[in-house]
Parts: sequence; C-alpha cells; structure tokens
Amino acid sequence: MRNGILPVGSVFPDFTKKTVVSIEEGKEFSTLTLADLKDGEKWTVMFWWPKDFTFVCPTEIAEFNNSYSDFRDRDTQLIGASTDSEFVHLAWRKNHDDLKGLKFPMLADTSKSLAEELGILEKEEKIAYRATFIIDPQGIVRWVSVNDLSVGRNVKEVIRVLDALQTDELCPCNWQKGEATLSV
Amino acid sequence: MNNEVIDELLTELQVESTFNSDTLDILDQGESRYIKDLKVNVKNVLQSDYLSEKECALIGLAIAVNGQNEVLKKFYLNLSTEKGATKAETAEVVACASLLATNNVLYRFRHFVKKDKYNQLQGRIKMSIMMNPVLGKEFFELVSLAVSAVNACEMCINAHEQSVLNHGGSEERIFDAIRIAAVITGLSKIVN
Repeated sequence: MRNGILPVGSVFPDFTKKTVVSIEEGKEFSTLTLADLKDGEKWTVMFWWPKDFTFVCPTEIAEFNNSYSDFRDRDTQLIGASTDSEFVHLAWRKNHDDLKGLKFPMLADTSKSLAEELGILEKEEKIAYRATFIIDPQGIVRWVSVNDLSVGRNVKEVIRVLDALQTDELCPCNWQKGEATLSV
Repeated sequence: MNNEVIDELLTELQVESTFNSDTLDILDQGESRYIKDLKVNVKNVLQSDYLSEKECALIGLAIAVNGQNEVLKKFYLNLSTEKGATKAETAEVVACASLLATNNVLYRFRHFVKKDKYNQLQGRIKMSIMMNPVLGKEFFELVSLAVSAVNACEMCINAHEQSVLNHGGSEERIFDAIRIAAVITGLSKIVN
C-alpha cells in the first residue's frame, strides 16, 4: 500500500475501471482507462467520496453536476469515484432524485486498487477519503486536495484552481526574463 | 456543443435568443474554442475578492459606455441596479466614462507631443463631477483609471493609478478593475 497521498507532479497511475454513465436501460455501463485521461486535450477533475447512499455525498455530487458547464468550458471532464461497485452506483443514481440527471461518469473502484495507488484509502474501513485530483491532458497530477471523511468540499475552489492552472501560460507577454521560450 | 455555450453566454448577458452578431456567427461556424474561453473570462470578472459585485457591474457599465456597446450597456446597467446601485450612482459612472474619454484625448495629445507650450495652454475642460462623487473619491478614481487604460492615455493612467492608491485603494483592486476593462473590451468585439 502507498505510504501517503500521490504527490503533485506524479504521473496518474494506470487503471481500467467500470463506470456508470446513464440510468437508461442498456446504456448504463462503460469503461474508463488512463488513456481517457491523457488524450493531450482534456483536463480531468476526479473526485472521490467514501460511500454511496450516505448523506453529505449527494449534495456534493449534485454541486459538481450543477457546475458541469463550467468544467466543460474549461475543457475538463468530471469523474466521480468511490470504492462501491458499478451496481451500487447505478442503484444510487436511480434511487436519489439529485443524482438522476448526472452528466458525468461514476467510477467503480471495486477492488480498491486505484484508491490504494492514489494513497487515499482510509486505514480502518478501507474506503476513500474525499480526495480531489486535477490531472492535466498529459496525465500528470497538478493538484490534490483531501478532506477527512465527513468534510464536504467547495466546487468553486476547484474551478478557481483549474483557472489558475490553465490561464495565462500561453501568452508571450507573460514570459519572465530568463525563462525558456514557449513553443506553441 | 458550441450552440450550447453560445446560448449560455447570451443568457449570462441577459440577451434575447434572437440576438445576432456577425463575429459571433463566424466563431460559431468555425467551431472556435474561443467562445468557451470568452464565457469563462466574462463570468470570472463578474466577481472579485477585492471589488463588490456592484463595483464590478459599475466598472462594466463605464467600459460599455466608453465602447458605445448597446448590448453591454443595457446588461451592465441592469446588473448595477440589481446589485444595489442607485440612479445617481449609475449616472455618475456614465458621466465619468464620458468625461474620461474627453480627458484621455486631450492629455494623451499632451503626453504624445511633449511640448511645454501645450502644457501651458489652458485645457478648458469643465470637470466639476470630480469634486464630490456620490460613489466616493477612491471608486471614482478607479473607474477613471479603468476607462483611461482602455483609451490608452499614459498620463491619465499614471495619474489615476497614483490617485486611487492615495485615496486608500489597493493594487489588487486596481488590477481587478483593469481586468474587467480588458475582458469587456474584448467581449464587445464579439457581442455588439
């Protein structure tokens, strides 16, 4: 097991996981792999919660969903994740009014291998902390934030960090003396 | 995809869906990703850690007036009122934009030519509204600075930047005001 959380600057670990993408019959499931994260164009925000069917989670997940267009405008895909199975995810999405219209996939880390490699598995119950990762189009972790099990997070803050990571960097007028020149 | 973003941008700006702009059409037809960037920038400058929402809206109004943009004038006027600006305050911002556009031409001429003679000749521009602004001296100066930055008068920019600081403003407030001016100037090339 990883000792501590995967640090900023690391390559996001390889994975292949089942996801729930819809509640429509026959279209419920898909698969997500590391290749979907490092396509050279999209950024990724992956946020984790401890358990499906608990109280703080749906509020938080619905808030991410409400900001879906803000993420899309920033060329960023949202991925929600927990260690529950894809069948539990689906049942929860069908069961809870706030989750029926979700626009992003819920990832099922049933074997807990990804949470373990990310270093976000709580030791006692072996469930994920409320961790949020921003991953750039090359698959490099650029921001990590981890809340203890009961603390919800602020979606606006995630967007603010994303803006800070994405803006300004391309304009030659932001070159500092001595920096390598940009090749765009 | 772009249609959705354009609709959201126009809704954000309280513009009717029948609205038509040739530059926006060109971006749309070329599937330009710039529309997303523009929407992000426009939404971001509606809020600031150092300016109230009302102040952001009023600076927007001044820039729209300076740029003679009908659509944005209407939007930022409504927004200013919604955020609590009185009629006297919106009137003051409109007056400030007009006066500064005036001063920017005159003083810019002086600083470009750099001849003593033009500094000695009287300016003869009446500017009594600068005396006791209802929005307070610091904010009036801040709006003056933002308009001057758009109209690119070096002398006015230097003078009003110093003046904002002298009246208790901060560099953070100044730069946020300049960012609003920059983004709205860009926006008005697309939404007009």
